[in-house]
Parts: sequence; structure tokens; C-alpha cells
Amino acid sequence: MSKKESYKKLFKQTFLFFLVTVFIFVPLVGIKLLGWKYSLRIPNALFLIFGLTVIRFMIGVINLTPRLRGPFRKVFSQVSYLPHVAPTSISQRKKSLLFLVIALSFVLPFVIEQYWLSVMITALIYVMLSLGLNIVIGFAGLLDLGYVAFFAVGAYGVALLHHFFQIDFWLAMPIAAFLAMLVGGLLAFPVLRMHGDYLAIVTLGFGEIIRLLLNNWTEFTRGPNGVILPRPYISFFGIPFDKNSPNSFHNLLGIEYSLSHKSIFLYLCLLLIVIAVTYFCLRLKKMPLGRSWEALREDEIACRSMGINHVTIKLFAFGLGAFFGGIGGGFFAALTEFVSPSSFTFIESALVVSIVVLGGLGSIPGVIIAAVVMTLLPEVLRDIANVRVLMFGVVMVVMMIWRPRGLTRVLRPRFNKTSK
Amino acid sequence: MAKNLIKFGLLVGTISVVLGGCFKKDDTIKIGVAGPFTGQYAAFGEQIHKGTEKAAADINAAGGVNGKSIELVFGDDACDPKQAVTVANKLTGQDKVIAVVGHFCSSSSIPASEIYAASGILNVTPASTNPTYTERGLDNVFRTCGRDDQQGAVAGNYLINKLNAKKVVILHDKDTYGQGLADATKKVLNESGVNEILYEGVTRGDKDFNALVTKIKGLGPDVVYFGGLHTEAGLLVRQMREQGVDVPFISGDGIVSQDFVISVGGAQYTKNVFMTFGSDPLKLETGKKVVESFKDDGYQPEGYTLYSYAALQAVVIALSATDLDSSAAAMYLKDNSVSTVMGEKSWDSKGDLTVSDYVMYAWDGDSYSELE
Amino acid sequence: MMWEIIQQTVNGLALGSIYGLIAIGYTMVYGIIGMINFAHGDIYMLGAYVTAISIAVISSIASMPVVLLLSLTVLIVVPITALHGYVLEKIAYKPLRHAQKLSALITAIGMSLFLQNYIQISQGARNQGIPTLISGGFTLWTDKISSLSAVMSYTQVVILVVTLVSMLTLAYVIKSTSLGRQCRSTQQDQMMSAMLGVNTDRVISVVFIIGAGLAGVGSVLVTLNYGSFDFFIGFIAGIKAFTAAVLGGIGSVTGAMLGGLLLGMSESFFSGLVNADYKDVFAFGLLIFFMVFKPTGLLGTPEVTKV
Repeated sequence: MSKKESYKKLFKQTFLFFLVTVFIFVPLVGIKLLGWKYSLRIPNALFLIFGLTVIRFMIGVINLTPRLRGPFRKVFSQVSYLPHVAPTSISQRKKSLLFLVIALSFVLPFVIEQYWLSVMITALIYVMLSLGLNIVIGFAGLLDLGYVAFFAVGAYGVALLHHFFQIDFWLAMPIAAFLAMLVGGLLAFPVLRMHGDYLAIVTLGFGEIIRLLLNNWTEFTRGPNGVILPRPYISFFGIPFDKNSPNSFHNLLGIEYSLSHKSIFLYLCLLLIVIAVTYFCLRLKKMPLGRSWEALREDEIACRSMGINHVTIKLFAFGLGAFFGGIGGGFFAALTEFVSPSSFTFIESALVVSIVVLGGLGSIPGVIIAAVVMTLLPEVLRDIANVRVLMFGVVMVVMMIWRPRGLTRVLRPRFNKTSK
Repeated sequence: MAKNLIKFGLLVGTISVVLGGCFKKDDTIKIGVAGPFTGQYAAFGEQIHKGTEKAAADINAAGGVNGKSIELVFGDDACDPKQAVTVANKLTGQDKVIAVVGHFCSSSSIPASEIYAASGILNVTPASTNPTYTERGLDNVFRTCGRDDQQGAVAGNYLINKLNAKKVVILHDKDTYGQGLADATKKVLNESGVNEILYEGVTRGDKDFNALVTKIKGLGPDVVYFGGLHTEAGLLVRQMREQGVDVPFISGDGIVSQDFVISVGGAQYTKNVFMTFGSDPLKLETGKKVVESFKDDGYQPEGYTLYSYAALQAVVIALSATDLDSSAAAMYLKDNSVSTVMGEKSWDSKGDLTVSDYVMYAWDGDSYSELE
Repeated sequence: MMWEIIQQTVNGLALGSIYGLIAIGYTMVYGIIGMINFAHGDIYMLGAYVTAISIAVISSIASMPVVLLLSLTVLIVVPITALHGYVLEKIAYKPLRHAQKLSALITAIGMSLFLQNYIQISQGARNQGIPTLISGGFTLWTDKISSLSAVMSYTQVVILVVTLVSMLTLAYVIKSTSLGRQCRSTQQDQMMSAMLGVNTDRVISVVFIIGAGLAGVGSVLVTLNYGSFDFFIGFIAGIKAFTAAVLGGIGSVTGAMLGGLLLGMSESFFSGLVNADYKDVFAFGLLIFFMVFKPTGLLGTPEVTKV
């Protein structure tokens, strides 16, 4: 095609694009409802229409200019990372980098302020949740859209155990996590026969049922009012972080009282648990259980023909996933010191699923990075106030189109060293 | 992997730049405003936003606080307790606000107020009516709205004494505010020996209540009480009237909005709808002026707009009297009464208004008026 | 109590047919590309706004009979929602045609968040509505003792009729036209159809357009019936409609309608006769129960997996 012809085509395309934007923006941006009447906001619509049309035209021009096309495509083109098979031993350089990251994350709470500390704790809770869901979706390939149910069971477990029996966090959290595991097992039974999207909708329904029960069963869960925990709830293994009590943490150490002691402690505990869980998940991948999950994900029939008991491994996947979700929930209760059903809506499940997919289904480092990014992003965007969630949605779409198989490459361990 | 870590490092770097980018100005004081500016309850967040924005503009135009002008810092919690805690930490830790107006949902205000209390920051909510908010022994919490139990008492007495109701249906929207209100009214009724014939919840966001309305119709009540907001209330009333249930419908301050007329589908359906609400600010000279000024800007100050305006006024008066000391300001509000757009207000030791000025209102066409 | 049973049936039918109309969009997209289009509910939400806007604009220009006003509104709303459906597919799903299915699910969730907030910003967060256009209804049955009667409003009649007509038209299109045959063949095997000369990209676009157009019809009906809406209705209606689609057997258009009616009826009878608090618990419980015994839904074809 000659240059002239291709420009002609571009003009035609831009004009079509222009028409589409007119029909999209004029009714919904150009006219604003006011009661049963309306007011015209045509300039806003025109701004969007012409802005987008110019951008569309510029992209077309870039595509037609050989010198600009190369770098443009290099940055923006879609790249699907395929899983690659490699020996699992890591190089010295990566080892030192890993060590540096871990060391930094231990130092972090002492240098950042309370707000970012609480954001980081939330990020770690999401890392925990994503690692749990990664077992279900990433390893075993079972699409679970109701993961928030286990998160809720964990949080409510901790809160209600304190509410009714005054049980301390360090005992209540494991109990709540086991409770979540039990609920996970309970869910696994009816869904054993289901696949893919049927499984998705059933788990979604299950998540909604749990939330609705928490909301409606007022006598037991205090309904929409939620359960309030005393403050400070979490203790240094029995030593309270109270300001006024004589046996409290700061008095025993002889340091000045600070609000952040509690948060730093919470962060460090959570960090240790997250590191342990990460290590556990990495090992799990190489264990027979992890290998059977992968087999189940790739082909259920083939997997069963190999003599793997699909019931047991599905139960394990749901149970373990739920267990980690429960731990996350327990820490969530300790962070907010207040749990109410409004924290456990479907959108929470959707967010964790997005993290797992964005991290590259099954890649543990990827999932951790994605969890941190997806929690920090809305906070970084907080300064643009009302377009915050809008931008979040856009970023989700753009990232997914840009890297459909996640931000990182999934590593499949290679066992047979002789073959290449 | 290494590449990704670098990317992550870049992200952290960007964040720290953002962190470092907060400037501090000496001639302004920062006051936080928190509410659901996005999400399902954004309509109420807008009221808080507009109310406080206007109040800040008016106060700054009149010379500010002790010569300093007010800078509002908005924090969006989307009515999610988790985000409320984050916002509270941001406002206290990063923005260093000296007082906070907010939040909207009781489920957000309660956990957030603990954080404000720990940093000794004055917290005035314009909208959280749940009694728990002030019942926890915190000395920094106040509200410019009433409490659910006060509202429930007014509605309950009206039901018993004026309407002589024997068969009452009580509905709520299964949320902190709605259910709290319904429970408070139920308590008053039960104490007077009137037992409800139906007590059920509807789901926020649902549109079809026809099945429930049919059930109500079969029970033949004298009156229907609803604890909730205008969106569901409007649909309930409309569907009741369409099925021929014409009994009085009573609700709380959640339906005080022109939007109620929109959600009910027209002025023809608002007959026999009553509600409890604070005394009309339009009766006061100052209130009238502010309302006019809102209308000049093309905004109808409804629902919690004026409560938010009053909340910021109270905060500013207390701060200027105590030389910008937030904890002293909290003590000040407990001892002194403050003149606001909603009239003269004073608070008890818990932070509740001493005078509950709830009265009954009746809808008539597309406007409402106080009942004699 | 005969009147109550009749009334609840009418309530359930009206609610169910709306669920069904929205469910068709889910089921068609799922059938053809095997993906849950989470943003579909938000197209329906957007349609409600266009409905109110066009009613406001038209009635400010000229006053006209209700029938004409509504027909004009449908003529405006359906193309606009259909266009949004087309653009949605083009932006969010087409680039991921050959990627894993889950990626498209995430872009769908992202688009859903985007659309909700786009409408919140451009139209404000308040709930909006239209004035009551049609009021009154038929009395179907009057109880002799209590003299209570079951009524069916004219709006409910309109909903049933329009739903039925749309369904029959769609069934005809899918069964007997060239386009329908292309759709069905693409659904069965995308690659084979492409080899046989079916423009599968175009077929997928058309499916999105039809689905979004029907959601537009649904939004006009819902707005007419309930009168008010906000930017969040898409999410709630979406989850319910999706449940209906799965109940009926995802991928089957008739199944979606049946699933919608089943869901609407069971919700109506449960909240009318038992308890409105646990209505949704019952709906989702029913879904799980149903899936355990018939994992492919009412009319879904069982998956045959070849090894």
C-alpha cells in the first residue's frame, strides 16, 4: 500500500472512530440528568470526543511512521509469557537480591509512617490471601469466585471467639484458620463434579451465602453492626500494647509509648508468617501433591487415569487455600479491630482473583508482586480522588491486555537434569 | 524475576516521591473530611463533600480560624471499614489534620474514630446515627445528627399516640443505620405493648419488593415502618400503592431528600408518607441564608449537607476557642454550646446532642412539611 | 389465599422475565467464546441512564402519547447499548481472543469497575429516575372473604409481552437465519467455522451487539417498571442474571429464559411465604443444590471430554 493510500485509510478509520465516540459520549457525558429534567454539558463531551480522536489519529500516524513504530510496538505490544522449564536452583545474584528484599522488608516498618505501615499490613494480608487462592486457581486450576468466604470466616472466627469467650488472638487465629479450612472442605464436597465456570458461579453463590448469613444472623454475629474488638486487641504474646496499664509493652521495655509499636509488631508477625507460607508453597509445588494439582489443572481425565485420587487432592486444594484465607482474615480482624459484613463483598473475591491472574497463575513471586501492586495502587491513586476507582479499572484492563499471562513468567521446575 | 524486582523498586520509589511531595504550609490548618465519595453510597458522600466545602469557603471568606485559612483534606472510604481505617491513618499520619468531619456509615465511623482517639484528634460525624459510636467511652467523638434511639422514640410515640396503630409492620434494609432505626422503634412499640406483626429486612440495591408487599397486603397492617434510605423506601412505597396498600408509611431521616420523590415515581405516590427529621433549619435566619447561597450555586442542600456544614462549623469554633488544640477543643464542645447553621447546639459528656430535636414531617406532593 | 398465590406468580413472572432478558446476554457470550462477561450488567445499567435521558429530552421537546414516547426511547436506547457492547468487545476482549480465558474475566471485572465509575462521574452519584408513565392494572382475582385482590399492572403486562416477543424473535434468528447458523457453528467449533468461511470475528461482534441490545430492552422495561436506578444496579442485576443463566444451562438461550423465570418465581414465593431476609440465601442455595444434581443446568448440554 502506498503512503497516500494508507493515510487515506487512516483518515477513514479516524472518522469512524470519531462517529463512535460521538454516539458514546454525547448521550452520557453531554447530557446530565437532573431529577426528571436534564442539563447540557456538551463541552465536556466534545473535550472527550476530540481528545480521544486526536489520540487515535496520533497512534495511527505513529504506526505509519517506520522510525516511531519500532519503539512504540516494543513498549506497548502484547506479550504472553509462556511457562518455561528450568532447573529450580537459583543463581547467586538472585539469592543476594532475594536476601536484600527480605532484609528491606524487615527494616521497612521502622522507617515509614503509620499510614503507609497500615497500607503495608493490608498488602501483606492480600499477599496471604493471594497465596491461598493461588493454590486453588493457580495450582489446581479450580476457579473460585467465593474466596472471600474463607477470609470472612477467619475474621469473624477471631472476632467472635473474643466476643463470646475472650480468647486471645494467638489462640483464636489458629482456631479460626482451622474453621476456615473446615468450611473450605465443606464447600469442596458439592463442587467435586463441577468444572470451570459452573464451579465459578457456585463458589460465587457460596461466598454470597456466607456474607448474607453474617449479615442476617443478628443474634450470633451482631448483624450489620459488626463485632467491635477492644483496642488494642493484639498483644505481644500476652503483654498488652496498652497505654495506661503498668504491665504493658512499653513500660516493660522502658520506652516511650507509641501507637506504632502495635502496628510494627503486627507487620513483623505477618511478614514472618507470609515468608513461611511462601516457602511452604514453593516446596508444595515440588511435592507429589503439587504435581498432582498441576496434572489436575492440565487434564482432569488424564490425571485420574494416572491413578491420582481427584477427590483427595481437590479437598486438599480447597482446604489449604481456605486455611491461608482464614489466617489472612484473622490478621485483618487484628488490623481493623472491627469486622462487619460490608468488608466481605464479591468485589473482594474479584480483587484477589485478579491478583492471582495478574501474577501469572501459579507463579509465587508473581503473585506476591501483583498483590503488593494491587494494594498500593489505589492508595497511590488516592490523590486523584473521584477518578481513583475508574483508573483502577482501566489499569486492570490495560495490564491484562499488555501481559495476558501475568506480569511474570511462570517457572516450571525441571527434574531430569540430563535432558535439555 | 530480577527485572520485575527492579520494576517493583521503581514503584516503591514513585511512592516515596509522592510521600515526600507533601508540602506544609504554615498559614493553613488542615481538617480532614471522610466519607464514601465513590461506591454504592456516593450520593451521601457528595452531600458531605458539598456541605463541608461550602462551610470551609464561607469560613475562609470570613477570615478563617485565628488568621489561618482552612484546607480540607478529603478521604474516600467507600463505606468499607478497611478503607476507613486506612483513610484514618492517612489523615492522622500523613496529612497531619487536626480534626476530622466524618465518616458517613456507622460501620466506618466506629473503627476510624478509634484511630482519631488514639491520636487525640477531634472527630465529628454529620451522619452516623448508631448509638455505639458515642457509647464506647471515647472523649473525642461528637455527632451533629441525632441517635437512632432518639429517632425511634419519636416515631414510636407517634405511631402509638397519634395513629393509634395496633398492627404494625416493621421493615429495615439490613444495614447498621436502617436496622438500628427499626430496632429502636420496635423497642418503643414493644414497651407500650404493641407487638409488630412482621419484622423483616430487604436487601439494599434490590428493586423488586412486590413479593414482600403482597405478604404485607395479606396481613392487613395499620401502618408500615421502614428503617432505611430513600432508594428502597421509594420503591417500597410505589409498589405498595400499586398493589393497593394505602396505609401510612413511616421512616426516618434517610428519606429526607428530593430524591425520594424520584425514587417513588412521582408526587402522586407520596401521600401518607411520614418521617422523623431534625427541626427545619430554614426557620432560622442563618440557616436560610446558607440554604439560599447553596441554591445560588445550583445545589439543593439536602439530607446531610447542612449537618456536614454544621459539623465543620462546630469544629472550627471549638478549635479557634482553644488555640487549635484538638483535645482541648473536644473538652470545649462538651462544656460550651455552639451556634451553627442548624441552630444552637450543645453536647453531653458522651458527645451526643443534648437536645434531640426530632419532629415528625409529612410528605405532601413533592415537598415535605413539619407536622403540628 | 388464592389471590396471594396468583399475585406471587405474577410478581415472579415479571421479575423472572427481566432476569431472563439480561441472562440472555451472558449466556450468548458464554456460549460463543466461553467467557463470563461481567461487564454485561453494567451495559444494562448504562441503558437505564440512556432511557431516562432520552425520555427527559423527548418529553421536553414535544409531548406525545406514552406508546410513541416508549417506542422512540427503545429506538434510541437499543442502538446505544448495542454500540457500547460492540466497543466493549473491541477494547477489552478482542485483544485477548487467544489468551487464556481467565485473562478476559479480569478485563471484564476491570471494565465493570470502569463503567460504574464513569457513570458515577458523568451523571453523579444520586439515584435517578423517570416519572411514572403507565399506572393502573387489571384485577385478576378477588378473594370473597377478605375482598383482597390480585392485580397485574399494565407495566407488568408490557414486560411479559415485550420479553416474549424478543425471545421469539431471537429464537427465530438463531434457528432459521444465516446469521443464526453462523452463530451456532462458531459456538460449536470456532476454528472449523473459520475454515468453512464464517467470519468468526464478525459473528462474535454480532453476539455482543445482540446481547447488549437485549440488555437495552431490559433496561427500558425495568426503568418503566421500577422508576428509579443508580449506577450500582448493574452489579446486583448482573449477579442474579448470571445465576439465572447458569440455572438454565449456560449457553442455551431458552435455558436462560427458563432459569430467569425459575429464579424469579422462587424468590417471589420464598420471600412472600417464608422470609424476605433469607431470599437471596435461598436463591443461591437453590443454585448450589441444583448444580450438585444437574451440573449443567436445566437445558445445558453435558460436556463431553475427549481424551
